[in-house]
Amino acid sequence: MLIAWRYRERDTIIQRLDPRARIIFMLTMLFSIIQFWDLRIELLFLGIAVLQYALARLTWRETRRAWILVSFIIFFMTVLTFFTGRGGVDYAYHEEHLIRRLGPVSIPVVGWQIALNITAEKSIFAVSQIIRMYAITIMAITIPYTVDPSLYGVTFRRLGLPDKFAYAMDLSFRFVPTLGRDFSITLDSQRARGYEVEKLSGGIVAQIRKLAPLLVPVTINAIVGAEDIIDAMDLRAFGVGPRTWVRELTYRRADKLLIAAGVLVFVASTVLSFMDVGDLWVPEVLMRLATG
Amino acid sequence: MTTEGLTKNKAVVWLIVLVVFVLLMALASFLTSGDKIQGVAPIGVTAIGLIIVFVIYFVTAQSDAWVVGTRQVVYMAIGAALYGVFNYIFNTIPMPSVSQVALRPSVCIPIFFGYAFGPVVGFFTGAVGNILGDFITGWGVYPAWDIANGLMGMVPGLVMLFADKKRSLNFLTGLVAVLIIIVAALVFVNPQVPGPWTGEIEDFSFWAWAFIIGGVVVVVGRFVLERFSVDLAAINLWGTLGIIVGIGFAAISDIWINGYSFATAIIGEFAPAAGPNILNAMILAPILLAAYQAVQSRTGR
Repeated sequence: MLIAWRYRERDTIIQRLDPRARIIFMLTMLFSIIQFWDLRIELLFLGIAVLQYALARLTWRETRRAWILVSFIIFFMTVLTFFTGRGGVDYAYHEEHLIRRLGPVSIPVVGWQIALNITAEKSIFAVSQIIRMYAITIMAITIPYTVDPSLYGVTFRRLGLPDKFAYAMDLSFRFVPTLGRDFSITLDSQRARGYEVEKLSGGIVAQIRKLAPLLVPVTINAIVGAEDIIDAMDLRAFGVGPRTWVRELTYRRADKLLIAAGVLVFVASTVLSFMDVGDLWVPEVLMRLATG
Repeated sequence: MTTEGLTKNKAVVWLIVLVVFVLLMALASFLTSGDKIQGVAPIGVTAIGLIIVFVIYFVTAQSDAWVVGTRQVVYMAIGAALYGVFNYIFNTIPMPSVSQVALRPSVCIPIFFGYAFGPVVGFFTGAVGNILGDFITGWGVYPAWDIANGLMGMVPGLVMLFADKKRSLNFLTGLVAVLIIIVAALVFVNPQVPGPWTGEIEDFSFWAWAFIIGGVVVVVGRFVLERFSVDLAAINLWGTLGIIVGIGFAAISDIWINGYSFATAIIGEFAPAAGPNILNAMILAPILLAAYQAVQSRTGR
């Protein structure tokens, strides 16, 4: 099985940035977004996320699969939150103005009463929630397509991760194609013996157990093969002194500006949040619907 | 400086960090008149949680379980790569699913690596493996879920902090019993709370009994599994705890990150993710462990 990275060299503004600056910016945005419920502010963050996505020049074709899945999750979770009362932490909104009450409906066996109160606050919260989740997701989705996998080890090392962990990270990215090939060989071998992964029969326990002939050989083979790697690394005195990396990262002016912008947005968001700016905003039209 | 001295220094630094963190929470609560952090309960709970983490770290800092040498580095890399590759493959291959239980066999990888090679290897396998899987599938980077997967691998590795597996099981059984008693007592003391569906006051005494029955099942299950093998009981119980802690962490953090209601976090995320994961791990992790032990006894490593 050929396992290919999503990353492609595109020579875009986004890809020319230092991966450390990108990760710091993503985290500052994440911690800023989650401080607000005001739809207008969430839209600002969505705008920043979309701008980053556009600058990365990603196509619909390559990201389609991810978008379909993510959109399904976002809408399903928003609807579920809408049906199950207040979303977020309790202080997102304190009082609710009823637009319409549906139910209550009685569930036959357990006798539970289910009612749905459609309120102005709950409705605008759902919209705000969708925008917030899309803003976070757009920021997150851009990373795998635009950060070179071979730079992850050095990126996290320079972000402060100890040498050994950064090296393990680098090593794990390098193992992926080999393990993909091993899995492919194992799958072909088992198929030659009549094993059909697409047609597993029996109950749930039997079906899960029947996956062992795929998982176990690949895993145990990798662990047995690890002994040679451990020996080779020990013979080269791994872990005795600080490591050097094939590719080094250096911050340029644009990277420093990006980090500064991220930190500034985060500090401003925190101050505004403490000043009670950015709480749930309910448009006048919804309030009129509720009172009218 | 001696190792013991270094540990003490580290412990003091961490204690200062934890105290500052709790003080900042208190300050935030004070400055916002309790609007952002309501009352002393969340601060108290956070402080207790941090003290527990601190005590565990301080008591076990000298344990071999936390050592990271060449062997651990290579196992971390292999574990993470395997978890990432399996996540990608089993998300892409058209697999049958029975009822509401998804076939997610890859979850046994962090559980097995944590249990066999320690908490650090387990955490790395889960966290970096999840990042890798999301990278290959192109779904993005989600820090809360990466940490959650790390916890799923780390918790089974805590078994190494005990002198033997049987003692770890005794500790776990005691912990489950104490937690169940506390939760059930809390529900019995205050059974009337607003329901997640209607928002109206409902009686939740039923859930106290559900917790008690669940606890009894876990304790009985431990002794039944132990009759076959201590390892079988240990990997299943520690693995289950790891999944509950990990998925629980992700589900709860999504209340703050994505604004889910508590019911959404439990019904929409925790239950559908934790249930099938526990089932998949309980079946496949012991098979992997048995295969590994067979190889270990053959090669002598």
